[in-house]
Amino acid sequence: MKRFLIGAVLVTASIAALSSAAQAQDLQLWALTLADSTSSAAWQKVISDFEAANPGVTVTYTGRGTDEHKAALRVAANSDQAPDIFFSWGGLGLGGEFIKSGLAVDMTKYYDQYKWKDRFLPAALTFATQYPGGTFGVPSSFRGEALYYNKAAFEKAGITAPPTTWAELDADADKLVASGIAPIAFGGTVNWHVMRMLDAALEAECGAAKHDALTATKAKWTDEPCATAAFVEFHKWTSKYFLKPFMGIDDSQAFNLYTAGKAAMLLEGDWLVNRLSDAGKLDSTGVFPIPTGTGRLYGFGDYYYISSKSKYPDLAAKFLDFLTSTDEQVANPGLYGAISVNKAVKSTATTPLALAWNKIFADAAGLYVNGDQAFPLDITTEYWRIQNEVASDTLDPTAAAGELQKFIDAHPVN
Amino acid sequence: MNALAAPFRLAGSSRIDPPLVILWACLILLALVWVVPFVFILFTALKSQSDIMGGNPFGLPVSPQWQNFAHAWVRGNFSTTTFNSVFITVIKVPLGILISAMAAYSLARIPWRGQRLLFLLIVFGTMIPFQVMLAPIFGVVNGFHLINTYVGVILPYLAFGVPYQVFILYGFFKDVPRELSEAAQIDGASHFTIFWRIFLPVSLPVLAALLILDFVATWNEFAMALVILQAKGMWTLPLGLMSFQSQFSSNYGELNSAIVMTVLPAIIVYLIFQRYFVSGLTTGAIKE
Amino acid sequence: MTTTDSPVSAERSRRQLPSRREVWSGRSPFVQGLVMLAPAVLIYAVFAFYPMLDVIHLSFLKWNGLTDNRPFVGFNNYVQIFTADPVFWVAFRNVVIWTSLSIVIPPMIGFSLALGLNQPLPGRNPLRAVYYLPVIIAPIAVATMWRWMYDPFSGLFNQILTGIGMPGLILDWLGDRNVALYSMFAASVWQSVGFSMVLFLAGLQGVSQTLLEAARIDGAGRFGSFRYVTLPALRSTVTIVLILSLINSLKAFDLVYGMTGGGPAQSTQMLAMWSYTQAMQLGNFGNGSAISVVLLLVTLVIVVPYLRWTLRREDASA
Repeated sequence: MKRFLIGAVLVTASIAALSSAAQAQDLQLWALTLADSTSSAAWQKVISDFEAANPGVTVTYTGRGTDEHKAALRVAANSDQAPDIFFSWGGLGLGGEFIKSGLAVDMTKYYDQYKWKDRFLPAALTFATQYPGGTFGVPSSFRGEALYYNKAAFEKAGITAPPTTWAELDADADKLVASGIAPIAFGGTVNWHVMRMLDAALEAECGAAKHDALTATKAKWTDEPCATAAFVEFHKWTSKYFLKPFMGIDDSQAFNLYTAGKAAMLLEGDWLVNRLSDAGKLDSTGVFPIPTGTGRLYGFGDYYYISSKSKYPDLAAKFLDFLTSTDEQVANPGLYGAISVNKAVKSTATTPLALAWNKIFADAAGLYVNGDQAFPLDITTEYWRIQNEVASDTLDPTAAAGELQKFIDAHPVN
Repeated sequence: MNALAAPFRLAGSSRIDPPLVILWACLILLALVWVVPFVFILFTALKSQSDIMGGNPFGLPVSPQWQNFAHAWVRGNFSTTTFNSVFITVIKVPLGILISAMAAYSLARIPWRGQRLLFLLIVFGTMIPFQVMLAPIFGVVNGFHLINTYVGVILPYLAFGVPYQVFILYGFFKDVPRELSEAAQIDGASHFTIFWRIFLPVSLPVLAALLILDFVATWNEFAMALVILQAKGMWTLPLGLMSFQSQFSSNYGELNSAIVMTVLPAIIVYLIFQRYFVSGLTTGAIKE
Repeated sequence: MTTTDSPVSAERSRRQLPSRREVWSGRSPFVQGLVMLAPAVLIYAVFAFYPMLDVIHLSFLKWNGLTDNRPFVGFNNYVQIFTADPVFWVAFRNVVIWTSLSIVIPPMIGFSLALGLNQPLPGRNPLRAVYYLPVIIAPIAVATMWRWMYDPFSGLFNQILTGIGMPGLILDWLGDRNVALYSMFAASVWQSVGFSMVLFLAGLQGVSQTLLEAARIDGAGRFGSFRYVTLPALRSTVTIVLILSLINSLKAFDLVYGMTGGGPAQSTQMLAMWSYTQAMQLGNFGNGSAISVVLLLVTLVIVVPYLRWTLRREDASA
């Protein structure tokens, strides 16, 4: 009985507290867990600066794990409990879902008001305008992926310079095998890691236009011989050049295997620089863009969207403007990874590896995104399943394109 | 403390029984094997990140990093999450067992027509994994405006605890001999009195077992808490563990320290309540 | 105490039905029973049973969780999962294997441990605590731990096998689809044995000491008294443990989620996990709910006849 009373009192008190808080303006921002103390400190500073400049306003950042964030958002996004601002990756199957369900605010007027078209990297902006009905979301970060390599291992194998064509890459892989080290390490349990190899093969075999058409399901996978060629090439890599076994480990383990000297390369993103630094491998590692021959950067962007359920969309836009402003980005480099989405912000990189990344970003002639960003969710799952079957030698690579197309035909993208 | 007056001796004999000794040795060996994964967590909790990644993950910690615990406490916001977990668990567990026991008693002892059907309907509740019901549950709780409140998470917890507790207690209550309750009924006791004075004490081992099982289940519950408790200030311990895993990396040393700290209270509760499993304490009151 | 002021109410009292006066005075057993049932049933109905019905309802709709628009599609979702979903049947087969193993191995081990730890052995309380420890640890932590132990490069098992000179036995524990399910099952045994052990221990407390003493005096050896006194007394406990193990294994989720995520190539998927994946990660609540309903039906088909049989048997012997 006493417990009931206590419970009742607490409920009343919390309702009272919640309703009184509602008079102040409270922005809720849902995103991912902040990785380290630098980024947490950066965010805390930005939030307190914004609150100081806007009295009566509070901003709350709630960070969750990747899958947990997706689950919480999916359940709450269409309710009155939705956050004002939410983070999502820019691709069709991810952020696109919310846009197509009408849960993201069209921000065209904010783009005009704050002149964001002039602020952000063009590559980062592509995701905002790829949907009919307006401009959605503000870039949060922009990431690129390339091939890291162990300089000593390359030297030992007799590779004098990083490869610039796919044929050279294949030849270099053979040299590495001959010198006794596995060319590359991948983690198979996280499907999106091994997927990167397949994406690269598709880009190399099909070229930019066909690759885009295939991932947009506008071209049939069974009609384009380059698709099958890509699967075959992918299979060649998984059987000859991947450090084995890889299907049972994750990307962190792959990283450990690289730092332990068991593999010569990693296909990873710009975020790895910090981890390499922590592991003391910064100087012994180099990076080169994936030699697909199209010159496009392999990368993706993530975004902040304003929820259509938000009570304060203007305030949310104001915060996003503040967050991505040149002053704030320059003052708090913990907010971004290798490069800021704000093109006016100069990189503070000094290490050779970080400078190499700047060059990769600068030289890129276009962008192709990770497969799981390009496809809708169900096709992504099937894409991964087929990729894993090929990698485990249980599906003939020449049959893979047909399997995928069969699924696409049964689940058309509307 | 249950001091064994006569270890290794079968009842009624004073000789040491060799099979029992062998059994004991086997149990100890198996227990050592059993404990290995947990020792692994403990070791990892005491290592630095580079030690974990670079060295042998299963080796002894080179230099124990006790500060992992302190850092984990802060980073996982343990002061808040522990309070929330304790509050929710301390309310939910006894309350849940009470209402389930009452319902089980009613189903087992008070005959009426729809009983069998109601029992089956309740047992249905054990059959669907609640992870797939997250969206409907969110809808119901939100409909009552209980998102982000203790009540909002306790009610679904109670709801999902009822089925298997009623199921177990129904079985045990059915086995209580009629003579016990009939005597009291003749004396004019209400069912509630019979329940409270006779059935509960006699079922102490089962109740203790359920209490432990339910404590652990509530303490470790994640999916519903994730969806109902959205504000960070309301997070429970399992939700706090998310703070150690970011998009591209995990801090394993601190994560494992957090796991150790999360497990400790549950161990303590177990140690407190498991003494009710000791035979001799509840001396065959049931089947006399 | 029932007042009998008329033949009718006397008859009703005899048949344990409430007399009219008793009903209105609120003292009839029926009303008492209702009052005792009410809290549990109400909370269960609103917060568990209703969402279950909602899931069944959802299985006939098409919904991504984000829109208000939820069109009715009849049996379309079911047709899809049965015919157009390459993973559904893999998940189904895995559940059958997993469940068959789970109702045999962990309860047997738990039972043996309970029996063993019920004997007068020194240090049995710490031993019980050790065996119960895995149940206490959150499933996600268990999954992470075992993933490390199974690591094909520096994992514990590999180190042991290499250390004793048998590296040929090393397998890709979680990456080889022929082995992965069983590797996960080992972790599941480790975690769930304590659950049945605790229930069996509680049940063993109900075995009459008098009867055991009588049997011993009559000359029954340890196996005799086990067979004729202990085992019969444990009948309801065994039923409970079997049914709960069955139901829990059909619902297996946390370990799969943490250890393989359903991989490699969805080969370790299970119905509950696949249902969650469809709903929460693929945004297809219609399919996800349909899979849950199939799971529910399978569970019902297995459990209900068994339940009714044991209930009938208990009524007969009561």
